[in-house]
Order: sequence, then C-alpha cells, then structure tokens
Amino acid sequence: MRGGQPLVEVVRLGLVSYQEALRLQQVYVNRHRSGPAHALLLCEHPPVYTTGIRHKPYPEPLLDQLRLQGADVARANRGGLITFHGPGQLVCYPVLNLCSFKKSVRWYVDQLEQTVIALCSRFAIRATTSPHTGVWVGDNKICAIGIHCGRYITSHGLALNCCTDLSWFDHIVPCGIEGKGVTSLSAELRRHASVEEVVPHLLHAFTQQFNCQLTEAAQDGGESPTPVTSAGTSALTNLKDN
Amino acid sequence: MAACWLLRSLSSNFSTVLPLLARSASLSPLQLASKPYFGRTLASSSRLSAALKFTDKHEWIRVEDGIGTVGISNFAQEALGDVVYCGLPEVGAQLAQQDEFGALESVKAASELYSPLTGEVVEINTLLADNPGLVNKSCYKDGWLMKMSISKPAELDSLMDEAAYERYIHSIED
Repeated sequence: MRGGQPLVEVVRLGLVSYQEALRLQQVYVNRHRSGPAHALLLCEHPPVYTTGIRHKPYPEPLLDQLRLQGADVARANRGGLITFHGPGQLVCYPVLNLCSFKKSVRWYVDQLEQTVIALCSRFAIRATTSPHTGVWVGDNKICAIGIHCGRYITSHGLALNCCTDLSWFDHIVPCGIEGKGVTSLSAELRRHASVEEVVPHLLHAFTQQFNCQLTEAAQDGGESPTPVTSAGTSALTNLKDN
Repeated sequence: MAACWLLRSLSSNFSTVLPLLARSASLSPLQLASKPYFGRTLASSSRLSAALKFTDKHEWIRVEDGIGTVGISNFAQEALGDVVYCGLPEVGAQLAQQDEFGALESVKAASELYSPLTGEVVEINTLLADNPGLVNKSCYKDGWLMKMSISKPAELDSLMDEAAYERYIHSIED
C-alpha cells in the first residue's frame, strides 16, 4: 500500500440540510472502522449559520437574532468560529483517514488551503493564505475552513463561495475576524460562476494536492466504483464490471 | 547510584530532558519506570518524580501519589500547530480509558483528546483559558491539561514508556 495513491470516493449530496450532512458525515466516519474508506462529500446547504467548539462568543440570544434573519443555526464540533453556509456555496467535507496521508492536522489544513488556492488560479484569481486559516483574495475571504479530527479521521471541511448571496455575512463577524470582508468566485470574476461549474475544478485540484485518486459510486447503485477522469469531471457510466 | 546523579544534573530543564534520556545509554527506561518516587529527594523544582507513560494518540500521563497529570506530547503539539483554545472537561467528570475528554483547537481544527486511563477529573489547568499556547511552548510542564484520579492502576501497563513511544514516533514518521 505504501507509495500507492489513496482512493477517495466522491459523494454528491446535492442540497441537504446541515443536520443531514452531519449525520451522513458520521456514517462515513464510522466506515473507517473497518479500514481506510476515504470520502469527499460535496453539497450545498439551505441558509444556516454554524459555530464551532468555542461557544462563549455565541450565546443563545445572539443565535436567536440570527434565526430571525430566516436562517437555521447549528453548533458543530469543528474548529473555527462563526460562519454562514447557503445556496451558491460549494461545501466540501473530506472524511479522510490521515494515516493514509500525513498524521498532522496542521498539514491537512494547509493542504485544503492550497487546494482552494490552486482552484482559484484555474479561474485566474490570485488567492492567498494569511495568519487566519482560510483562503483570501486580498482582504476578503473566499473560502472558510473548519475541521474536526478524531483518531486521525477528519470531518467538516471547507466552504467556497461560488455565487453565494454575500449579504448573509453582514449579520456576523465571519470567523470572528473584524475588519475583513467576504467575496465569491462570481464577485471576483464579475460573472456568474455556479457550484456545478466549480466542482470539477475542485476535484482536480484535490487529486493534485493530496496525491490521491478519486472514484465515484455507479449511479445505479452497482458495486463497481466508477473512476473519475484525471480532468476532474466525473464519468458516471454504469459499469457493472471492472 | 550513577543514575541518580545523571538525573539530578538533567532535572533543571524538564522540557529538554526527555530527548536526552532517550539517547542516554546509562539510563534504561526500565530503571526509570521502577523508581516512581525517585525525585522526592531532588530539588523542589524537579518534576522528574515519576516516569511519563504515553498513549498511541500522543497523550502522556504522569502518576504521582495516585493522581495522574495528563498532557499531549511534543509530537502532538507540533502536528497541531498553534493551539488557540483548549476544550477541557468539568472537574468530577468520570472517564473510561480512551474516552474523549476534550478537544484542542488550532488552525481551525478541533482535535479530540482521549483519556489515557480510567478515573475522575480532579483538576483542569485553568491557565490555558487565557494562555492556550502553553500547550505548544511547554507541553510536558506548564501546558498540562488535566489531573485525574486512577481507578485502574493496571491500565498503566498498557501504555508506552518513553523509549517505546520514541520508537512509535519514528515508525509513524516514515
């Protein structure tokens, strides 16, 4: 196994509630008990504000105010402070066993940042890291990152603004960082960039950065995994045999 | 008795002692482990009164007078990056061996902590609330996380001594 590229299954969830995505992540986390079973969950959420393990900055009255905006509110066991997820934002939850990669969350978060930076460069957008974890275009955050790691299994992940309605972020100090703004691929490109358009580029950047292979379960529920092509677009043919 | 003198001269800077001990040919881990109260006659600043035991998840525990002090290893704090928040249990929490007892946050990552032994939390390091970076700067000393009573002392035998832990680290780093 050493020297081989880990195999990561791409799981496209579509539009799912944050709670449903938490439940599904746990399913994929539990799969790792019987051996490496890396997965990359892709989804969008209906409007929801989420907080991490640091509860003190976000008492219930503050969260109630956010509910009044029409969004759901959820607490999560991830790192990072408050953020927003909503339609037009590509949310990616890699459920990896770091034993197959490198046993360091610092390395892992670095890799996520570099993946998104590489993706942005495919759109000719110059994105960077900063002392604050996440991916930035100048002083504006284009992608938030917040993860959880237990027994080397990762969950939660990244949220990349493609065509998100950025006004949702007006009601919070995103990630607790005063004086900085948010942006999206659409805002930077000055044209509409949908989640669907961005996904293949994220998958390609992910395989490059993590030196892994992607696979996708056949749509008919058959047992043969379908390889994702190296260009990053999925080849969803109904292969019954290898 | 030569071992006594070697330990005394090394006791001044605890955080650098462990690597030195690992390389010292005259001190075997077995000798250290068989002298848990060795340090009681040393200067009061010495924390070397008991050997450290390690879990495979990079927590350490040091048992003195039936109370175990728990922290994370240097390998762990380096792998985490700068710790910005320590989520610790309540005093009185009952923990079984390998139970999750808290989490450390660094680089927007929440990493779980696992109890080395079965017991009850008797104290948490309140300094970490305002100074979580102590976990990085002094992971074996001032960055301790919690103290617990020990319900099942035999569980200590399932943990790695320092030499075994060093070998374990090297096998991971391949």
